[in-house]
Amino acid sequence: MLTYSYNLNIMLQPELIELLGSATPKILAEKIPVTENRDSEWQGLQQKVRGNENAVSPFGFRPQRLRFAVEDEYFEDGDIHRHMYLQDVVTATAHDEHPPTISEFRCHIAGCRQLFDTLEGYEHHYNSLHRNVCSNCKRSFPSNRLLEMHILEWHDSLFQVMAEKQCMYECLVEGCGLKFKTSKERKDHLIRTHSYPADFRFDKEKKSGRMREKKTQQQKDANMEFSETATIHQESESMDFSLTPEPESVKAVETEPMHTANLKPRYSYKVPSSICFGQGSVRGFRGRRKK
Amino acid sequence: MWRLKLLRHKARGSANNLEFKHKRREFEKALRQARRDKQLISKRLLQSVDVEEEEEEDPVEPGSTPLSPEQVREMIRGVQSGGEEKAARLAYLRKALRNPESQLTFIKSDNGMHMLIGHPYLLTYLSGQSTKLTELCLYILGNLCPDSTVVREKLLAQGIVSALASCIHNQRYNLEVVEAVGFTLSQLIQAKDTNEKIIPAVMASGIVPHVISALTPDPEFGYGPAIECTWCLHYLVSSSSDNSMLIAQGALSQCSAVLITLGGAVAQGNRAGGIELLIWPLLRCLGNLLVSGGDVKPEDTRLLAALCVFSQVYLHPHPALSRESLWVLNNLTAGSSGFCSGLLLLNMVPILIQLLSFSKGINSMALRVLGNIAHHGTEYCVRLTQAGLLTALCATLCVVEEFTRLNGVPLLEAIQYNSEGEQRVRAAYILDHHFPSFSL
Repeated sequence: MLTYSYNLNIMLQPELIELLGSATPKILAEKIPVTENRDSEWQGLQQKVRGNENAVSPFGFRPQRLRFAVEDEYFEDGDIHRHMYLQDVVTATAHDEHPPTISEFRCHIAGCRQLFDTLEGYEHHYNSLHRNVCSNCKRSFPSNRLLEMHILEWHDSLFQVMAEKQCMYECLVEGCGLKFKTSKERKDHLIRTHSYPADFRFDKEKKSGRMREKKTQQQKDANMEFSETATIHQESESMDFSLTPEPESVKAVETEPMHTANLKPRYSYKVPSSICFGQGSVRGFRGRRKK
Repeated sequence: MWRLKLLRHKARGSANNLEFKHKRREFEKALRQARRDKQLISKRLLQSVDVEEEEEEDPVEPGSTPLSPEQVREMIRGVQSGGEEKAARLAYLRKALRNPESQLTFIKSDNGMHMLIGHPYLLTYLSGQSTKLTELCLYILGNLCPDSTVVREKLLAQGIVSALASCIHNQRYNLEVVEAVGFTLSQLIQAKDTNEKIIPAVMASGIVPHVISALTPDPEFGYGPAIECTWCLHYLVSSSSDNSMLIAQGALSQCSAVLITLGGAVAQGNRAGGIELLIWPLLRCLGNLLVSGGDVKPEDTRLLAALCVFSQVYLHPHPALSRESLWVLNNLTAGSSGFCSGLLLLNMVPILIQLLSFSKGINSMALRVLGNIAHHGTEYCVRLTQAGLLTALCATLCVVEEFTRLNGVPLLEAIQYNSEGEQRVRAAYILDHHFPSFSL
């Protein structure tokens, strides 16, 4: 008698639970006893079957490993479950239940006047801004690698000497490894090969004067729109790549349907004065730059 | 700063519950249609806990109403102006951008484009010192990836793959970052159109061992990183018919080991916290790896127990998961006497027989597994019939057409030609009386 067990109470066999317990060791497949297939008997039956022309081959079933593509209908439910998870997930700020109670304090780096009221915020600020600082010119960089490249290219006289004879300007993209004779060649490479935007701040030419500096600084900062926190404004300079003044480099490389990016930022908003631009990279020591 | 929290579908009070369920069903329908249109992509939302309260009213809205150009400009200005709320404003902007029309408006605005073409900066920050910033940049990149081929190719040209590889290597002990890298990578390689360029770059980058290593979940931290990395592995496995390299890097043994661990957890009643979110992609990796790596098999047959547990436990909440567990069982047992014997010895046949009564592809896959066992010879058929298989098959014959479609006939034939006397007679009887066209 057929019984449809819709409400089957699934009781897991206790042996299964034990098998999967952490105390159970591996059960190696090769150690499991197998019975050999009695081939001769099998073949005998096959011959019998073939005698009858009406018989459908009884060996239609073959054990078969099945492969399913990513977009196969077979996988629909699992994909839906996955995407519901992705879109439902709320990434919450892990506000501590007991946040450290400290009063406001200032960053202690000379020239930086940023205020904080959480240790976490300060840590983030410090890591972004003051950690990879060039001891020569006080510029800060977002990563150690860029800092090292900066020191090499700007503060190493041996580099300048070698650069006259061989390709020393390394591509900024990690893993690329190509080197170039001049920084302009490197910049072109970045634009052509790695789709960097043309107004990415490449090597600044040697300029002096604090006034120009300041203006450039503000322009730079205005350009960093995707910055997440206030500190990033200050980091604009950390790339150590300034705006290329040449308007010809404005042509964007991407094919997205948009009008060419205008180099000059056209923002009318006023940056609140509490935002500090003078951060760790004190601009006072520029005079020491060579060449 | 940002922590992924799984929002459990808690009841929001009886008044809202029905509405919530209805919305959820609508949302699910929309996702299914999107998948049929090959447009199933998702972006991950980051927001601060303060904002969460306001947004609770509408958590499952796939996209808000589109923004006007002025609103977009206003939002961008808000983000640029800095201050403490910058992060929240950015999160808000990101959420708004989930609406495709808003995206277009955003792209057309001047400031917006600067943000989009600022990818190199995002990539640079991945190697920065601030892990919170790294995590955020990763999610931004991950959300940008599914937008279009153009965006993906651009990111590829800018070196996203090696940036991700360095990032996960340097931050391998920071699970929040690992999860974010996994997410971004999965978004990058999910699309089929850039397979020829992106997948080889990924395989060559050295990121794969880290991805495989992250499959082992950290019980304290949660399943997030393992989930993301397993989906990455699934896309990698599916992109090639020869995965010997992945297998050499330990993909198969790792999947098997983790499934066994999870099987143990589930068997002991631990089914909370989204464990099935990890089981699911693991099954897919393993299932397809078994077909694309020659004859390499996992060594530990406790895997059979885990798969049986999943097929039973998830039968009602997630029948598709139950079915996919059986699929892996099929791939394991097809052509492997060790695993077939294993199923018999570990007394798992009754479970398979129980599953014969269920639809949605569960019974057909269970039949395949049983057929795989029967195929190995008389001895195996005897054991199968001793476990009550023929009786169960008779029961399912009430729906003859269904039975035929589900490979029941070949199974009977296998038993007929493999079994000893009595079973042969019984199988022959069933075939003669119910399937006269098949009998001799």
